[in-house]
Amino acid sequence: PSLPPGPPVRISAVTQPLPTQPQYTRVDQAILRDASAQRSNGRVQVTLSTHAERNLAGNEIVRLVRSGQVEIGAGTLTTLSGDVPILDGVDLAGLAPDIADAKRIAEAIIPVANRDLERFGVRLVALYPFPAQVVFCRTPFTSLSDLRGRRIRTFGNSLVDYFTALGAQPVSIGFPEVYSALERGVVDCAITGTGSGAAARWPEVTTHVSAMPVSWAVAGYMVNLAWWNRLDPQVRTFLEATMKEVSDAQWALGEAATRDGIDCNIGRAAECRIHSVAARPMTEVVPTDADRAETRRIFREVVLPGWIRRCGARCGEVYNETIAPISGVRFGG
Amino acid sequence: MSGAVGPAPAPLRAARALRRGTAAAAALMAHIAGWAYVAGALFITFDIVARSFLGFSSQATVEVTGYLLAGGIAWSLAHTLFRRAHIRVDVFVSRLPVRIRAPLHLFSLALLTAMSILFAWAAWELVDESALFQAHDNSALHIEMVWPQGIWAVGISAFVVACLVLMLEATLVLFCGRGAALDGLLGSRTLEDETEEALEAVAMAHEGDKR
Amino acid sequence: MIAIVFLLALLGVTIFAAATTGQALPIAEILMLIGVFLLFFGSGVYIAAVLGALGVLTGLMFSDRPWWAFLGQTLWAPSSNFVLVAVPLFLLMGEILLRAGLSDRLYRALNVWLNRMPGGLLHTNIVSCAVFSAISGSSVATAATMGSVALPYFQDTKYSQRMVLGSLAAGGALGNLIPPGITFIIYGLITETSVGALYIAALIPSILVTGLFILVILAHGLRSPMQKPEPLPLGMKIRALAGLIPTVLLILLVLGSIYGGFATPTEAAALGVVGAAAFAALEGKLTFRMLNASAEATARNTALLGLILFGAYLLNYTLTLINVPQALAALIADLPIPPWGIMLCIIALYIALGTFMEGFSLIITTVPVVFPIVVALGYDPIWFGVIVTMLVEIAQISPPDGTVMYVLQGMRKRAGPITDVFIGVMPFLGAYLLAVLLLMIFPGLALWLPSVMG
Ligand code: NA
Ligand code: NA
Repeated sequence: PSLPPGPPVRISAVTQPLPTQPQYTRVDQAILRDASAQRSNGRVQVTLSTHAERNLAGNEIVRLVRSGQVEIGAGTLTTLSGDVPILDGVDLAGLAPDIADAKRIAEAIIPVANRDLERFGVRLVALYPFPAQVVFCRTPFTSLSDLRGRRIRTFGNSLVDYFTALGAQPVSIGFPEVYSALERGVVDCAITGTGSGAAARWPEVTTHVSAMPVSWAVAGYMVNLAWWNRLDPQVRTFLEATMKEVSDAQWALGEAATRDGIDCNIGRAAECRIHSVAARPMTEVVPTDADRAETRRIFREVVLPGWIRRCGARCGEVYNETIAPISGVRFGG
Repeated sequence: MSGAVGPAPAPLRAARALRRGTAAAAALMAHIAGWAYVAGALFITFDIVARSFLGFSSQATVEVTGYLLAGGIAWSLAHTLFRRAHIRVDVFVSRLPVRIRAPLHLFSLALLTAMSILFAWAAWELVDESALFQAHDNSALHIEMVWPQGIWAVGISAFVVACLVLMLEATLVLFCGRGAALDGLLGSRTLEDETEEALEAVAMAHEGDKR
Repeated sequence: MIAIVFLLALLGVTIFAAATTGQALPIAEILMLIGVFLLFFGSGVYIAAVLGALGVLTGLMFSDRPWWAFLGQTLWAPSSNFVLVAVPLFLLMGEILLRAGLSDRLYRALNVWLNRMPGGLLHTNIVSCAVFSAISGSSVATAATMGSVALPYFQDTKYSQRMVLGSLAAGGALGNLIPPGITFIIYGLITETSVGALYIAALIPSILVTGLFILVILAHGLRSPMQKPEPLPLGMKIRALAGLIPTVLLILLVLGSIYGGFATPTEAAALGVVGAAAFAALEGKLTFRMLNASAEATARNTALLGLILFGAYLLNYTLTLINVPQALAALIADLPIPPWGIMLCIIALYIALGTFMEGFSLIITTVPVVFPIVVALGYDPIWFGVIVTMLVEIAQISPPDGTVMYVLQGMRKRAGPITDVFIGVMPFLGAYLLAVLLLMIFPGLALWLPSVMG
C-alpha cells in the first residue's frame, strides 16, 4: 500500500508482552513501524512499546485502548476475556487441532466479537496466534493419560477444565515463578507456547515436551474506535492494508515458530532459527490418535459447556452459528 | 498539646471529637485489614499443604490474595494517616518557626487530600468501568471484579474522609492561633508516642519472661 | 541534596549525548522535576503526594492523552499484584518474631560473641540484621525488627547516635540482598529469570557487603575506642548460641520450602508467617493481643508503602506515557563508549533515581527498558539481577528518600533530626558502592556459585 502526502499521523501502539519476542521484533517493528513509515514516506509514525515497558499485566488492554491511552493495543484473548467473555471462545482448549482451523475460527469470530467490543469503543482489527500451547513436563510421559495425577501449571478457565478432565491437578502460579517451580518440582508440568518455553529456558528444567497443540494463545490487535472513525479515509485504508499484512505475517510466524520451538527444545540446531537451541535437549512426545480423540471428547463434553456456562446462553448461540461449522462440534448436540 | 493556651473553643472541641470518632473507625478498618493478611498467610499455607500432600489446589490463591493486598492497603490508609505514619520529608520544616511551620503542615495535608480525592475518584471510575464490562477475573471462582475493586474503593474513600476531617481540625487549630498543636496532629513519626509503640512491642516480647 | 546533584549530572550527560546524537530530549521534563521536587521537598510534603503531584503535572504538561481515564487501572494493578503479597507477609513475620522475642534472643546470642571487637555492639547490629535477613525478604522489616530490638541496648551509652542509626540502616539494607528477598522476586517477575538462581548468586555478594560493613565499623571502633565489656567464659558463650536455634529453623523452613520444591518464593513468605507463629506458640507468647498488634502494625506499614506505591505508579505511568525511561535508556545505549562504560552509566542512573525513588517503582519503571540493553551488551541476566538488587538497597539508604531510614528515624527514643541517619549511613553507603564496583570488576563473585550448583 501507499499513501499520498498529507498531515503526519502519529500512532502510539502497545503490542506484545516482551520486547524480545519474535512477534514484536519480526512483525510489529518490521511491518507496523518500519514498513508503514517507509511506504507512507514518513507520514505514518508508529511509536511501539511492549506490555513490560508500559508496566501492563495484559488483561487491561481493552480498557487501555478504550480510554485513549494508545491508538492500537494488542493482547491475548484469554487474558482479556475477564472484560469481554466472548473473546475466550476463539481459543478454547482442544478447539482447534491445527493452525489452519485456528485461523479460520479467528477470522469468523472478528465481526461477532466486534459487536461486543464496539459498545465499549474498541474495534478488533486482526487476530493472530502465538506458537502452539503445549505441555512441558519434568518427568517422562508418552500419552495424555500419563498426565493423570500430575500437578500442571495452567492459566485461564478452559485449560483448567481441560486438565481437570484429564485427571490432572491444575495449579495457578505466576509465569515468572514457573521456571523455579518446575526446577524444584512444585509442579510436574506446565503449559506454554513451544517457543515461549524455549525462550524462558524451560528445557533446563523439563525433559519432555508434547507436540500436540492444546490451544494457540490467540491474540488480537484492537484500535480505539473513535480515533479510527475520525481518520482520513485514505489513511484508514492504508492502515487496514498494513494490519492485514501484519496479521498474515503473524500467522505465518505462528506456524513457523510452533515447529521451530519444538526443534529448539529438542536440540535440532539446524532447524532452530527463531528461538535459541536448548543446551540440554528434550524428548518430543508425538501425539497419538487416541490423544487427539480424547482431546476432542473433553472439548465437547467439558470445555465447551464450561465456557458457555461462564459466558452465557448468547455465547452458545454465537458458537453454534460461527464456530461450530468450522470445528465440527455443536453445543447441545 | 503543647500549643494549647486556655480551654479550646467549641468548634475546635467538636472537630477534635469528630476526628477521634473517625480515627476509631479507621483503626477498626486497619485491624480488619491486618487480620486479612493473617488469613491470607493461612490460605496460602493451606494451598501449599493441599497441593503437596492432598492432591488439590484452590486455583484462586493468586487472585484472592491479590485482592486481600489491595483491600488491605486501602483499608489501612486512613488509620496510618491518624497515626502520622505516612512518610513526609520534614528535615527543613521541623527547624522552621511555628509561624511558618504550621501553614506548611496544613499545605502538606491539603496536597495529600487533593491527591486522595483524585485516587478515590479514579478507583470509583474503575469500579464503574468494571460494572459496564460486567468484568470477571480468570480464576476458578470467577469473581466479579466490582466486588474486590469496590471494597478497595471504599477504603480509599475512607482515606479521603480521614484527610478531610484532619483538614477541618487543622484549619480550626490554625485559625485559633494554636499552630504549635499541628506538630502533634500532623508532624512526622519522631514524636514520642510513635516510638513508644516499637518499644511496647519489644516489651510484649518480655512479658512472661521472669526478669 | 545528592538527588539534585545527580539529576544535574544526569542532565549534563543528557545534554552531552544530545550534542553527539542529535536526539530530541526530555530536558524540560528533568528541569521541571528538579524544580517541583525542590519546592515540595523543602516544604515537607508527604512523599506519596509529591510523587503523585509530579505525575499529574507531567501528565498535564507533556502529554495530550487522557491519562486520568486509566488512573484507576494504574493504581489497581500494583495493589492487587500477587507477587507483592509477599511484602505484608514478610512484614507480618517480622512483627510476630519481634513480639515473640525471637529477634531479641538472636541479638543477645550474637552480642555475646561480638561485643569485644573494636566497635562493639555496632557489629551485633550488622550481623544480627544479616542473619535476620535470611528469614525476612524485606529491608524495611529487617530494619524495623532489628532496630526496635537494638535501639534500647544503646540507650545511655557513649556510642555515636549516628553510627548506631547508620549501622542499623545499613543492616536493614541487607534484607533484600540476602535471600529470600522481595526485589529478586520482582526482578524475576519482569525479566523471567529464575528467582532460585538469583538467590544463589546473591550469596557471595551478600557476604562481601556484610564483610565491608564490619570493616567500616572496625575502622570507626579503632578511631574512637571505647571501654570493652568483661570477657565471658566460653561455656556461657556456647550456651548463648541456643538463642540462634529458632532463627536457623525458620531459615530452613523458608528457604527449604523453596529448594525442596514445596513452595514458590512468594508462597514461602506465607510459610514463614505460620512458622513464626508456631515458634511464638512454643514460647507461650502467641496470644490474641499479640497477633492483633502484629496485624495492626503490618497493616499500617503496608499502607505506608502502598500509598507511596500509588504516587510512584501515577508518576511512573505519566513518565512512561511521554517515553522518559525509554528515551533515557535509548540514549544511554547509544552513547559512543564501551559496554562497561554504558554499564557505569546505567548504575549511575539507578543511583540518581534511587535517591528519590522507592525501590519497587524504581525496579518496575526501569528494568523492562534497561534489561534488553544489558542483555544486548552481553551481560548476564543473573549478574544484573544481583547488581540491581544492590542498587535498590543502596536507594533505600541513600538520602534524602529511603524507606529504611524513615523507619529507623521513626523508632528513635531520643528525638533528633533525620540528618543523623543520613550522615550515619554515609560510610556504609560508600562500602555498598565499593561492593557494586567489585562485582563489576569480578562478575564471578555472583556467577560462580550458580554455575557450580547447576
Ligand atoms: Na532477605
Ligand atoms: Na533513596
